[in-house]
Amino acid sequence: MVTLDVRPQLLDALSALRDRVAAARFPLPLAGAPRARANRDELLAQLDDYLVPRLREPEAPLLAVVGGSTGAGKSTLVNSLVGRRVSEAGVLRPTTRTPVLVCHPEDHHWFSGMRVLPDLTRVWVPHREVGDELLLPGEDPARVLRVETADTMPRGLALLDAPDIDSLVADNRVLAAELVCAADVWIMVTTAARYADAVPWHLLRTAKEYDATLVTVLDRVPHQVVSEVSRQYGALLTKAGLGDVPRFTVPELPESAWGSGLLPASAVASLRTWLVHLVQDPAARQHAMTRTAHGVLDSLKARMPELASAAAAQYAAALRLTSAVDTAYDSEHARVRGRLQAGAVLAGDALKRWRAFPLDCSGQELLDALVESLAALLLCAVTAADERVAEAWRREPAARAPELTGREPSLESPEHRIGIAVRRWRRELEEYAEEEVRELDRSVAPDPEVVAVLVATVLLGGRRARAAGERLAERIGAHGALRLRDRGGRLLTETVDRVMHTERERCLAPLDALDVHPEPQAELIAALSVLQKER
Amino acid sequence: MTAVTDQDHTEHADRAGENGGAGGERSAEGASTEGTSGEGTTEGGASGGGGSDRGAHEEPDGSKSGNGRTQKADGSEKGRHARVERDSAGTGARADAGRIDSASAEAADAWDDGLIARRVSEEDGGGERVPVAEVRGHSALPSGPLVYDGRLRSRLEALRELVGLSRTRLDSRTLAEAGRVLDEAAARRRLSGQHTVVAIAGATGSGKSQLFNALAGVPISETGVRRPTTAAPIACSWSDGGATLIERLGIPPRLRRRPLQNPEAEAQLRGLVLVDLPDHDSAAVQHREQVDRVLALVDAVIWVVDPEKYADAVLHERYLRPMAGHSEVMFVVLNQTDRLPGDATHQVLDDLRRLLDEDGIALGEYGEPGATVLALSALTGEGVGELREALGQFVAERGAPARRISADLDAAADGLRPVYATRRRTGLSEEARDEFAARLADAVGASAAGEAAERAWLRNANRACGTPWLRLWRWYQDRSQPVTGRLSLRTPEDAEATARQRVEQAVRTLADRASTGLPAPWAQAVREAAVRGSQGLPEALDELAARAGLPPGRPPRPGWWPAAVLIQACMTLLQVVGGLWLLGQIIGFMAPNLGVPVLLMLAGIVGGPIVEWSCRMAARGPARRYGTEAERRLREAAAGCGRAWVLDPVAAELLRYREVREQYGRVTGVVTSPR
Repeated sequence: MVTLDVRPQLLDALSALRDRVAAARFPLPLAGAPRARANRDELLAQLDDYLVPRLREPEAPLLAVVGGSTGAGKSTLVNSLVGRRVSEAGVLRPTTRTPVLVCHPEDHHWFSGMRVLPDLTRVWVPHREVGDELLLPGEDPARVLRVETADTMPRGLALLDAPDIDSLVADNRVLAAELVCAADVWIMVTTAARYADAVPWHLLRTAKEYDATLVTVLDRVPHQVVSEVSRQYGALLTKAGLGDVPRFTVPELPESAWGSGLLPASAVASLRTWLVHLVQDPAARQHAMTRTAHGVLDSLKARMPELASAAAAQYAAALRLTSAVDTAYDSEHARVRGRLQAGAVLAGDALKRWRAFPLDCSGQELLDALVESLAALLLCAVTAADERVAEAWRREPAARAPELTGREPSLESPEHRIGIAVRRWRRELEEYAEEEVRELDRSVAPDPEVVAVLVATVLLGGRRARAAGERLAERIGAHGALRLRDRGGRLLTETVDRVMHTERERCLAPLDALDVHPEPQAELIAALSVLQKER
Repeated sequence: MTAVTDQDHTEHADRAGENGGAGGERSAEGASTEGTSGEGTTEGGASGGGGSDRGAHEEPDGSKSGNGRTQKADGSEKGRHARVERDSAGTGARADAGRIDSASAEAADAWDDGLIARRVSEEDGGGERVPVAEVRGHSALPSGPLVYDGRLRSRLEALRELVGLSRTRLDSRTLAEAGRVLDEAAARRRLSGQHTVVAIAGATGSGKSQLFNALAGVPISETGVRRPTTAAPIACSWSDGGATLIERLGIPPRLRRRPLQNPEAEAQLRGLVLVDLPDHDSAAVQHREQVDRVLALVDAVIWVVDPEKYADAVLHERYLRPMAGHSEVMFVVLNQTDRLPGDATHQVLDDLRRLLDEDGIALGEYGEPGATVLALSALTGEGVGELREALGQFVAERGAPARRISADLDAAADGLRPVYATRRRTGLSEEARDEFAARLADAVGASAAGEAAERAWLRNANRACGTPWLRLWRWYQDRSQPVTGRLSLRTPEDAEATARQRVEQAVRTLADRASTGLPAPWAQAVREAAVRGSQGLPEALDELAARAGLPPGRPPRPGWWPAAVLIQACMTLLQVVGGLWLLGQIIGFMAPNLGVPVLLMLAGIVGGPIVEWSCRMAARGPARRYGTEAERRLREAAAGCGRAWVLDPVAAELLRYREVREQYGRVTGVVTSPR
């Protein structure tokens, strides 16, 4: 038999792994994400509520969680095992909404603290008269753990009455799953009417997967059919590979369920004896504890890679989304450059004004038209890129994250930002032109405004504006014209690049905010391998 | 036996013809036709019971192997077994079984949310799917086919048209449910309207079979403690002629039964076809598939719950909530009240009512339409009479099939709501159209062209009416400084005079405006129409702008222009004459008389600019008119082009949506007037 040797290194490795698991996030709504999130929560619950406390303090009392579907008689069973009414039982479903933990008074300190189930608020009710309202008003019943003490409980054992594992109340389901994860001993309760239900079988199969110390109770069996039902149930268990699981049968008695509560001691004697034996015989206790703990440790081998691959899938999806944005903006950027070279800006309004310049159109007007036309070109490219992104993202399930779809149009719209950038370019170009004209030592200095207009036309007009180039050269000389063109061209490229870059960042910002990185996958696997080495 | 001799002969023939030959029913019938005395009744019942035993005994070995779901070999064996049964029974498979299978698989996915207790492992339903052939043929029409009332008929018709109209726009998955409803409605309509098919559904161990037997009066369906008990649906028909209905459910003849021949009971439940279903919650997945398949086809459902399981999540979340709209064809029966002490029955029943209410199921209390909730014990028979009565009344109304189809239709329409309906106002506003035209005009540069034309006209007028000296000076200036404006005019006409980016942006803005508020597929269609229309639009605009632009050459002149030119010439002449006169006097050629020539010259010098100035003032109006005219021509040409290429296709698409929306309104039963 394996003993539970607990070295500090193992605990360190385990808490490192726990932190990794807690840090894993699955924000993108991929097909496997809800499952991964549930798995992560379940694993975290199991680590926090069970494995770490158990390895730290192996001498703590064993916790046996009674789980099962609604109406299986869990509360009645717990009450009968304790010998007094500690948990409500009744005909209305779901009955148990607050989990109840029962232990020996001397074990109370183990459970009153936050050692196990740290995120449940403890409510300690001193002994009350039977028939009192046991549910405290004003408390959220879902996140509360009621701790009861009873002298009749053997020392070193605590019973936990969990809510229905498949309750109609969703919170109860989550809580029940969490509680079952915290158990040293899983007591699965099912009934004669239910033993073939799918739900308890899922639970049993999970128990088998984790190799937990498991015991099943077939409750509420009408005595006429005890042997047949029991035989059937046994056959089903054997078929599922759970033939060696201890099985107890509790007959349906008039006091069974509906109300009054307690079964005669004889009905649950065998189960009670088994449990008492389990905690009082050191070997059996050690075995049960080790088995569950090792089961959980072993299950990590399969569960951590699963989480890691879910994290990897998240990252891959984020990468796909990012590359869709990049592709769209890159191709639009290339298109803008091509259009600029072809002189697409000098079209429409600007072209008409250029044709009328300088006879029927002032320089300012032409420059205004050019700048406006440039802004229109950039805005068109940005909106086209956004459209392509939306199109590509529509095909991605990951893009349906509320953070990505619920993008509010930012206060400063792209149009506004582009306008600012383009006007700034114009101002700088005018400054350049002035500088160039000032340096010119000519008796009749050309009008800097006209120079700026001509340079802008040359830069934006492509081949169409050849005449502008000639006139510019006439005014400030071929060298000056070339220099001015180069400076202005660089400035234009910078402006266009900056605009496209800013808008791309704006598009990517919500995705970046989700913080999906490649690291969690590697970290999860690394934490697992460290743990494996320490075992 | 009276019940048998009363039977209609045509129905006899009908049934004999279609029964290819199979155990249970024929033997039961044979026994009952032979029997003529009261004794025969019990005999028939007994032999019917025997038959059912035989039928039921064939099943368990299937169900037993199906219990261990993890063992795949058994499961597939069972699947094969089921297929062989189905083939030999010759009932034919449902064309839509595959669709239902996929639907149930989807439901399973949705329900399998990864909680520890409700994992559905992948192999659960994998191997058991039976491939089905597309066979749907009911040649023999039973007497009195179902008649839907006018409203339902028109709604179905509207749905059919709606599906036809939107098939190009919506993917087939979205329309699948609507198609299924239509198919089912048509299939059900061909079948008997005198019969009502009621299924008994519930969890394993709730006592479905017990209730079935209690209603039938004979132990038809096997009951037992072994879970799950019933593996295949069993039908029991209270009157003849419902064979095709049962066939539609895919129940083989050897699983069809007759109730205890009892004239009183028969009269009460005449027209009832009761179907006992397998459970929906056991570990045997194929049971659930059977339930899902049959539930989609029956007219009404009796949900059997028991005090232990009435709050099961699987029942409420998987079945009752999605079927909340079917409350009028739903009975919810709390069975096994004998296990509850005293007044607990009321308590549980109230709690059950509360849960049903939370599920959104209308409860048929105080005479309102809705689900009937009853408590009974099939074991002791308490409350069964009440159910029988309610059932009898329900069946006698013969309204269940139509109500079920109507509820299906409601559900399908509800499912289609997001792709058809929208709360927001849709359509293209006048402002959006105007803005589109303005953006196109911008793209061709209409306002700039107008301004340029106006200035050019003014310039020409000034030049024409200006003093010759000014003209001379200008001409000299022009010579010294080459004019660039003319140079660019001389360049060949550009290929892309229209600003492509502005056109693109205009189309995009218009598409956005037009598609706001539309459901996604229709918004997409509108956008596509706009984009398709905009292809070639810039080229068309180029061409149009070239054509609609002002005619080249000199702009037209107003009538007073020659007069102004003449006066200006006179002024110049005056100056010249005055000058010459003065010159003549200076050289002594003429008599000295300073006054007149100086006056003449002064008049010429002052008059010239005055004439020029007044001409400029007078030219302003025509110049503006000329410029406006130029702008207007371009603007109108651009707007016309945009209308033809983009606005019209978009408007057509919007119209199509409105049509579909109206049709949808007809489907939901609320006809909305077009906006």
